[in-house]
Amino acid sequence: MMKNLRRTSQILFLLVFLILFIQTEYKGKDELGLPVRLFLDFDPLIALSSLLATHVVKKIFLLSLVTIALTFFLGRVFCGWVCPLGTLNTVIGYFRMRRPSRNPDDGNHPRMRKYKYYILVFILVAAVFGWNAAGFLDPISITIRSMAIGFNPAINGLVRAFFEFSYVLAVPGISPAMDSLYSILTGTLLAFEQPVFRQMIPIALIFSAILALNFVAPRFWCRYLCPLGALLGFVGYRQLFARVDVDGEKCVSCHMCNRSCQGDATPFPPGQWTSSECLICFNCKDVCPASAVRIHPSMKKTGDGKVDLQRRHIIATGVAAIAAVPLIGLGETGKRHSPDLIRPPGALPEDEFLRTCVKCGECMKVCLTNGLQPAFNQAGLEGLWTPVLVPRLGYCEFYCNLCNQVCPTGAIRSISLEEKQKIRIGLAFFDKNRCIPYALGRNCGVCEEHCPAPGKAITFLIEEGIDRSGKSFELKKPVVNPDLCIGCGICENKCPIVDKPGIRVSSINESRADYQLYL
Amino acid sequence: MADRRTFLKTLAGGAAFLLAPAGKLASNTTATDAGTSFAVVKSKDTAAAVRKSVELLGGMGAFVNKGETVFIKPNISWDKIPDQAATTNPLVVQTIVAMVIEAGAKKVIVADNTCNDARRSYKRSGIQEAAEKAGADVPFMEKRKFVRMDLGGDVLKEWEVYTEAFEADKIINVPVAKHHGLSGVTLSMKNLMGLIGGRRDLLHQKLSESIVDLAFFFKPNLTILDAVRILKAHGPQGSTLGDVERRDTIAASSDLVKIDAFGIDLFGEQFREKGLSGFPHLKMAEKKGLGTSDYRTNGYVGLDLDKT
Repeated sequence: MMKNLRRTSQILFLLVFLILFIQTEYKGKDELGLPVRLFLDFDPLIALSSLLATHVVKKIFLLSLVTIALTFFLGRVFCGWVCPLGTLNTVIGYFRMRRPSRNPDDGNHPRMRKYKYYILVFILVAAVFGWNAAGFLDPISITIRSMAIGFNPAINGLVRAFFEFSYVLAVPGISPAMDSLYSILTGTLLAFEQPVFRQMIPIALIFSAILALNFVAPRFWCRYLCPLGALLGFVGYRQLFARVDVDGEKCVSCHMCNRSCQGDATPFPPGQWTSSECLICFNCKDVCPASAVRIHPSMKKTGDGKVDLQRRHIIATGVAAIAAVPLIGLGETGKRHSPDLIRPPGALPEDEFLRTCVKCGECMKVCLTNGLQPAFNQAGLEGLWTPVLVPRLGYCEFYCNLCNQVCPTGAIRSISLEEKQKIRIGLAFFDKNRCIPYALGRNCGVCEEHCPAPGKAITFLIEEGIDRSGKSFELKKPVVNPDLCIGCGICENKCPIVDKPGIRVSSINESRADYQLYL
Repeated sequence: MADRRTFLKTLAGGAAFLLAPAGKLASNTTATDAGTSFAVVKSKDTAAAVRKSVELLGGMGAFVNKGETVFIKPNISWDKIPDQAATTNPLVVQTIVAMVIEAGAKKVIVADNTCNDARRSYKRSGIQEAAEKAGADVPFMEKRKFVRMDLGGDVLKEWEVYTEAFEADKIINVPVAKHHGLSGVTLSMKNLMGLIGGRRDLLHQKLSESIVDLAFFFKPNLTILDAVRILKAHGPQGSTLGDVERRDTIAASSDLVKIDAFGIDLFGEQFREKGLSGFPHLKMAEKKGLGTSDYRTNGYVGLDLDKT
């Protein structure tokens, strides 16, 4: 009974997660409404590592105390009943578990349970010394990022190809019906336009690998690697409300509880149940042929199983984390700001930004023009997968501040539209060797037409031009006014020279950093 | 993949071309019974001005037949509110949709290929809501519905055209009168750029030739110029509300050369003096037989509803 309740809860939370994910897109309202970052708000690992790295207590992090409290009393129910990645792992792990094996403890590797604690120690120690690495390994962050950048574009591409095929084939009766279905799907379940992301394939592959590990052992990630699972295991191991109690006299030593255990918490042999590993999934109770398993509130210590943690390994991990912090900053971006490092408007100053951003990818998912892309080397190793604006792919829409609304940690500050419109994120420069009026001597003016800055940051210098037949005409040469340019990148995006544009935005003159000022 | 897609699209385009109603391909500069070929109406009551201007041309029935599909092309290019005059006034569009439906049209489509994000532009211009309220379909233009076809123009030989506009029985062009940084003004012929896809930004290098080619290809059956508010500087999207001037004027004609000539005059002396030489597209359009830039002589009616 409880097992089914747990399954229902998993499905419901996964659905809520997917709905919130789909909701993270412009749907005709300037305000997104539903808090799409909800799952991250309740994530104590994100809260703790951000707190340690930035020394700033954000009000939104208080929600994660709910998860902490719940875990303190009930153990890792978040892992077993709520976490969307946990649910995906459960589903895939289920196929693994059905394989017959002679090994009675097939798929269980209790000695590997410690690794996730070392990963947690590494993340927290690194955070104390200023490197917030939680985003790379936090399960919620991984899931949102992988879906936004990897899976969502892929699924969209496949579904669209299918409908496009139906459209061009133009089968009477069928194609028009498919077409109306497509109109309903676009902007609702499907994205409004096909999303395109750099690093789509590697990010999707990493996520696929995490899911594929379920074939090595069910919920491999949750049992042996997940730092959030480790944190919750640590918080909840003394819980008193859902303790597994195996009656040694009734037990027939069939190992079924161990084989069905989601967390590799070793309910068998009796007395070895490990509280910090238990996901309260109720499989052991459900599967026991002798009704030897009870799960109930108990003041008594019902299990004595331990995770094989060693002090010297913990210390070594901590030392490694401390050493990693300066090493990670040794890249060339540590010496000089990359011209391509154009951050979304409202982004904190770069060092603070790096300590705050958890690379969840929500800002990239929500970006109206698909211009926000995961960084590769623009911000150094530390800044991998943080958002950068790539004007050739998409620009910053003047009346949009959706990225400001979704950021879970405030790395992109939550600011009003009026404030956002005044922020400079870069500066446009003409390449006179490529810009059409300069290089080819004929009029173009597309950049001027699109410039949204009040007062127009691009204006024309009018000169006399001579065309091929010798006739004179008004040649309009565009120039950028650095006092008005906000670096939104629409000029570069729309420049008709589609390969290497005649105007380019670089990060110089962005208002968040003194050292980037132009004058 | 791309090759097969292109091939299929070409096939689809060819089929559309063959199946298109013959009337659309033939020239249709409709002369009206009333003898009025160019109507200018001023009124603070925008809807009344729109209705009167078309009435003077013989009513919507002179342009739209029962059971037809009508494509209305306003300017929805920008993510701006109506007060900024970067997009066509929603009330003008709404009134036209209502009139077209009253004339018995089977289907009314209102759409534009926008510059800013389509969803935001449709929404903030107010046109989506207004046109839907009056009973039109207001779809976003999808990439796959653009088909490359032969435009037979001087500059535009082949280009991607929005099939729903091409296949419609009638096209009503509803530009807003605006300043334009490159071409001086943007009016009815330039507005047709919203019916094509592909690399439109390339056309700026030969803007006048291009828009005349478009006018020649599409030959809108009726053009209604929205000069309720005109954008006098920093066009085509404007900068601040200081660039906007209220004129409460609607001009209607099946001759878009007249509309453009009149539209230039709206911007005053400085523009008018440039005459035909400053706005080469007028002369080119005349040469192609699209109409006449002299809107004041034959069939001109000007009315101020608030004074009568």
